[in-house]
Amino acid sequence: MPVRHRMSIVFGVVFTCALFSTYSYAIPAFSRQYGTSCSTCHVDFPKLNDFGKAFKDAGFKFPKDDDAFIKLAPILLGAPAQKDLWPHSIFPGTIPGMPPIGLRFNQFFQYTNGNANNYNQMPVGPAGTLQAPNVPTTDFEPGFFSIFMAGNFGSGIAFWVDDDLSVAGQNANGGLGDGYLRFVNIGRFFKLPTDALTLRVGQFELDLPFTQARSINISPYDIYSEANIAVANQQNPQAGVNNLLAMSDAARGIEFSGGHLYRGYHYSLAIVDQNTSGSSSPATNVPSPTGGQAGGGVGFFSDSNFKDLYANVSYRFNLEKDAASRNSVQAAGATGPRDHSYLSVGAYSFYGSSEQRFSGFASDGVTPGVLIAHEPFYRVGGDFSFNYRTFNLFGLYMYGHDQDLLFNPLFTGFVPGSPAKFSGGFLEADYLVLPWVMGIMRWDRVQSSADFLNQAGSLNYFSPVGSTRDRITPGVQFLIHANIKASFEYAFRPQQALTYDANGNPVNLFRTNTATGALEFVY
Amino acid sequence: MRRILMMVMAVIAMMSLTASAGTISGKVSGVTGESVVYVEAVAGKTFPAPTQEPVMDQKGLMFQPHIIVVLQGTTVQFLNSDSVAHNVFWISVGGNKKLGHNLGTWPQGQKRPFKFDNPGAVPLLCNVHPDMSGYIVVSPTPYYSLTDKSGEYKIENVPDGSYTVTGWHEGAKNQSKPVTVAGDTKADFTLSK
Repeated sequence: MPVRHRMSIVFGVVFTCALFSTYSYAIPAFSRQYGTSCSTCHVDFPKLNDFGKAFKDAGFKFPKDDDAFIKLAPILLGAPAQKDLWPHSIFPGTIPGMPPIGLRFNQFFQYTNGNANNYNQMPVGPAGTLQAPNVPTTDFEPGFFSIFMAGNFGSGIAFWVDDDLSVAGQNANGGLGDGYLRFVNIGRFFKLPTDALTLRVGQFELDLPFTQARSINISPYDIYSEANIAVANQQNPQAGVNNLLAMSDAARGIEFSGGHLYRGYHYSLAIVDQNTSGSSSPATNVPSPTGGQAGGGVGFFSDSNFKDLYANVSYRFNLEKDAASRNSVQAAGATGPRDHSYLSVGAYSFYGSSEQRFSGFASDGVTPGVLIAHEPFYRVGGDFSFNYRTFNLFGLYMYGHDQDLLFNPLFTGFVPGSPAKFSGGFLEADYLVLPWVMGIMRWDRVQSSADFLNQAGSLNYFSPVGSTRDRITPGVQFLIHANIKASFEYAFRPQQALTYDANGNPVNLFRTNTATGALEFVY
Repeated sequence: MRRILMMVMAVIAMMSLTASAGTISGKVSGVTGESVVYVEAVAGKTFPAPTQEPVMDQKGLMFQPHIIVVLQGTTVQFLNSDSVAHNVFWISVGGNKKLGHNLGTWPQGQKRPFKFDNPGAVPLLCNVHPDMSGYIVVSPTPYYSLTDKSGEYKIENVPDGSYTVTGWHEGAKNQSKPVTVAGDTKADFTLSK
């Protein structure tokens, strides 16, 4: 494959990932069910306001007197009095009065600044050979067409399922986002304080301090997309870490959580499948009793028996002087309820053990066999969020560390190598200028020497020229209606290079700054 | 004797007054739902505000009732029956934006009063639930009526005379017309948005 062609593919993949890895949701089903506007729960959807956070905490219900607000009465799956018969009857639940379906579509336009000329400086093939097309400076792209469903089955059991029906105009190119049941406030069975313990089961975005799946930004947070890969190459021949896990990946497992997002403490502890290979499709190596995928059943798949652990803990200090206002879901402003002024601080940690299988030799040094490298890794960091009226400043720091195991000279076992590390984070300021205008300024930073070495050695189109990548991304968003949004952002991207000279110095430095516009609606 | 004469004259006067009070009835068409019809201010006449204070409730994320018609000078009590926070504000009274006001926020179960001294429609809003909508229509005279859903209305005990009568409906243009009341009088309105 010609280098230039390969570069086009790389560009295309990165372009697509960068543009479309943002999943954002507001739930029209809730609007229908409660007869209220999106802005009851959202400030510039899908960003939640304090009431929306309380609604989420409560299991997609109004925190108090939920029944009084429902305009479409739920269907009873059992008379409430059946509770008294349990366990001699099915415990009564409800389903929403109408299918709680929401749909979402977005589309993008991107202008890429001045990279085409640099791209054209790539070496070309022999005269007369077909060359890959230029990278266009402007592009229209359809984004996601997604369906999502969420609600409550009564008894404090909430549900959520979202799926991308098509991505970038390609049908069946998407997949399941989140799909889970959430058993709210199960701590009541153990006489714990209200909302001290909630259980979530299924596939879900980890309880990140700041969600990627429901971010208002067009482009994702770079640090959340950071994988730790330190492949062996000319500059780093010993490397062997190959961990594709990114914190924004959907996880499969269970999660215990408690507290509230709108005040006081909040914690979560998740136990999830290991997935450091980047594969998300079921394999046949662990078929289900119904015959696995080939037999029409469900295949089970994870990288290893090890279950990763994720923990997140935070505390939010609401800053109102009046205690009643401070402890309410929303602060009582002079001209109406509003989000609290607050400061929240938190910390999080992810621990896993990457498992890689290699061909090698048994201890006799002769018998061929499979050797398994268990490379423990962790991600750890802290976060803060400060909110004053309609101004929100928040940031996150992450440090990643993967132990690196290398073959011994006889290929009969492993010896420790230098760990692969990265760090970085983001800082973002959101200011709601008007109820329908949001201004955004964001700084992303990723520092990874492994990335630099990998890219420099592989002539990647997006080669960074150093181990640190900074990105500044101002943006502005307009709510045309509460469910239609126009978003714009301009990304000052990291400096890059296509080629390096014999001394490893980059040649023809450039930045692929991009201006991106998005139009999104939910209904 | 003089006393008896005065009593007779008073009775005659009252009877003549009763005899000269008529009704205005009709239908508001061109729109759907409830409308308001009221008699505009009568030169040289003032009307004392009632002591009763109607209640506009916020319940289930709705203003209930949706429309209240009051006489100028009436105090309305605004109640929050919901367990969620609300506020009440209006940006104008009768289109006059200088009369906009914000009542703020108050806890569940409590009321907050406001006296409406200026005539006109008051569109009520809540700044955290933009879908909420209600109206106080402040009539300059006690001669007003809230139509039924089909638009039928009847204003009783209107003294005979010539008036300007106005039809109001949310989102529609007001329509005013001269009406001479003499007994039962008909006045239909066709409003448009």
